[in-house]
Formats: sequence, C-alpha cells, structure tokens
Amino acid sequence: MAAAAPTETRVFTLDPHQLAPQRETLEQALGYRGRSVPEAVSLLLDDLLASVPPLLQPSCAFCVPPGRLTTTASSIVCSAVEFHTEPIITKRLRKSTAVALFVATIGPRLERWSKELTSSDMLRAFVLDAIASVMVEAVAEWVESAVASEAATRGWRVTNRYSPGYCGWTVADQPKLFSFFPKRVCGISLTSSCLMVPIKSVSGIIGLGPDVKREEYECSLCDLADCFRRREGPARP
Amino acid sequence: MNEILEALARCVERGKVNAKSPYPPDLKGQDGADELARKALEAGVSPKDVLTKGLVDAMRRVGVRFRNKEIFVPDVLMSAKAMSAAMEHLKPHFLSSSLKRRGKVVMGTVAGDLHDIGKKIVSMMIEGAGWEVIDLGTDVPPDRFLKAMDEHPGCVVGLSALLTTTMLNMEKTVKEIKRLSPDTKVIIGGAPVTPDFAAQIGADAYSPDPQGAVEYLNSHCLAQ
Repeated sequence: MAAAAPTETRVFTLDPHQLAPQRETLEQALGYRGRSVPEAVSLLLDDLLASVPPLLQPSCAFCVPPGRLTTTASSIVCSAVEFHTEPIITKRLRKSTAVALFVATIGPRLERWSKELTSSDMLRAFVLDAIASVMVEAVAEWVESAVASEAATRGWRVTNRYSPGYCGWTVADQPKLFSFFPKRVCGISLTSSCLMVPIKSVSGIIGLGPDVKREEYECSLCDLADCFRRREGPARP
Repeated sequence: MNEILEALARCVERGKVNAKSPYPPDLKGQDGADELARKALEAGVSPKDVLTKGLVDAMRRVGVRFRNKEIFVPDVLMSAKAMSAAMEHLKPHFLSSSLKRRGKVVMGTVAGDLHDIGKKIVSMMIEGAGWEVIDLGTDVPPDRFLKAMDEHPGCVVGLSALLTTTMLNMEKTVKEIKRLSPDTKVIIGGAPVTPDFAAQIGADAYSPDPQGAVEYLNSHCLAQ
C-alpha cells in the first residue's frame, strides 16, 4: 500500500446537544417508515434519548490531500494512493478537483451500553443501537457541512459523501483512507477485518471542485442488483 | 383449553409480557403470557401444547408478519420477550426431558466481526420456533464452532457476517465445518450475504430474514 503524503487534518469535538436528529429519522431507524410507532416503543425511545447525551463523545475529522487527482473507470488516485471506489462512486467523483477524506464517531460508550443490554433486554439494546446509528450519521452530516464550508472558501462545491462498503467500494480500502490521518484519529482504530472500532463510526470521501454536484442520494445512484441497502433500507454503521 | 392457548398466543403476538405490563393498552390489566402459560399448565394443558400451540404458532405468525414488513424489529422483540416469560414455565419440563426441543442450533458471528444484534434477533426467533440455541457470540473463529459441534452432536450451525471482509472468514468457517463434518447443515446470513455467495462457499442455506432460517430448520433439519 502506498504511503499517504502528510496532510493537514482538521479535528472537531462536538457538543452532544448539537446532535438533535428528527424524531422521524429515529423512528425510521427502528423500521417504522411512515407507520405509527407503538406507544411502548415511543415511550422507550423518549426514555433512552434522555439518557443518551452524557454517553456521546462525538468527534470528527477531515483532510484534503494535496496533489493532482486522477481517476480510472473504477478507481481514484489521490496523493499516490489508489482507492478502488468502483464505477458507481468513481463516476460521481470524476469531475472533482480534489477530495476530502473524513471520519466521524460518537465514541464507544453508547455501543458498550447497548452491548451490555443484549443479554438482559434486547428491545432496549436494539433501540439504543438505532439511536447510536442515527447519532453517528448526524456527526457525519456535521463533518460534511464543515467540508462544504471549507470548499466554499475556495469557490468549490461538493459531491455527496461515499463510504467504503457501499455502492461497490470495498471496505478493504479502509486502511488506505485511514493512512491519511494520524493514528487513532478521533479515537477510531481499525481491526484486521477493516471494521472501525468504535463500530458507531463513519468514514468516507467527498469530491470537491467547481464542476461537481450533489445528487439525490439513496439507490437511484446505484445499479447493484443485490445490494443490502436496497434490500433493507439504509444500513447501520 | 383452546381458549387459554389462544389467549396465550395472542399475548405473544401482541407482546403482552405479564399482567403488570401496561402494553398493549387494550390489554392493560389483563393476564399476559407469563400468567397464561402458568395457568394453562395448572389447568392440565400439556407442556407440548403450551409450547407448540401457544408459543411456536404465535412466533411463526410474528416471523411471517415481520418478513412481510407488517411489523418491525421492536414489535418482534416485544413478542420474543412475552414468549420468554412463558417459556420460563416450560423450563422444568425441558430439564426433565418430558418436553423436547426440535434440535440444536449453534449460532455465531464469524471471526473478525463484532456485530451482534442481527444474529441475536435471528436466535430469538429460532428459539421461538422450538429449537435450542447455543449462541457463541461475536468474533468466533472456526475452531470454536467445531468445538461446539463436538459438544452438541447433530446440531445445525448458523453463521452471521456484516462485512464483506469477514465474509471471507465465513467462507473459511463453512469449508472447515464441511471438511470435518460434511453432513452438518450450515445456514448463513447478514447484510452483505447473498444466495449466490452461500452456494459458492458450500453453505446449505441462506436466509435474508429470521423466518427464512426457521422455515429452513423446520423443513430440512428436523431429526428423523
């Protein structure tokens, strides 16, 4: 694996109260898309949400590697590191002048609590896990906004964010992505199977430049016939 | 007799755990699965009927409704909680062997993968179908599955993976199981897993949802 060039990393620590996902988003994460949520589940959600903020340690980071960006049909080369982003993502990044790489996490405490509960109360464990997934997506949205603000200062726009493991991009590229950041950035480490720990973490890439655009996300971008995201709706970190 | 079993099944389907439980609101103050299972046994209903007609049938309907997206994971978990409360009253019958489970399933998330919740939900549904589950947890290497197979002869093995990278470990595990015990049935599942992958690595079955795993077990894995 090619070594990433030294890159300036911007790291942010967020106030947990900055993460205020909409109720509808939380209910969707529990599976209730446009369906009424049973009272028992709704009250449990309220109860757990009140307990969550002290357990959140949201932080995120991004960097914009220097140097020329090149693409092939199925990969993108950034500071001599080739990401096998596959055609669906590569096509969306092709017009980028540069890319931002990012990581985001809510820290280990919430998932630890959820795991403890799996042996005694699976319902609470599941609802907590869903809350944690929504919260880390909120951190990822925050860093995406920070990247967009940075891009705007250069007169650039941004693409959607894309993560290893989605739309054909192999999760095995995680070590390459993390090679652009200081070790244990935001407290995140990678296992040998490229799993981020804490699990409730998100990493990815965003294209930057005057000619890129954001698109309506979800499955309209992608033509993978047997994708779990299409089968089950948005997946959880 | 049938009335009490029907009421028990209704409580399991609706997630009514016990009389104290305020949910669902229209059953507030009424007996739940806990009390009804106890009363059924006291009234002379056989433990087998309590299990099959009261619990297993109800959980099968829950599994089908979940697969049809009529209900969602929290609803399934409330039903599983009610089922567990009733199952407590059947424990002595299982221990004395007067009531037998359908078979044993060794479950685990493969090496390198720490995702637990999906596998737990499938395990609960399999238990609800009358099978005994031995849950090995997460990050389970092939030799731990093999050891569990030695400890539970005739068991079925269920493997879960949530990462494309750990699907490789799923393949290693299936191949090792099949090399040493070709007749052991292996079911696999997890978000990135597909039927093609299952066929490619030599697994016997793939299921995208808990009910599919239950149906495979009931149709292909019952002891003769």
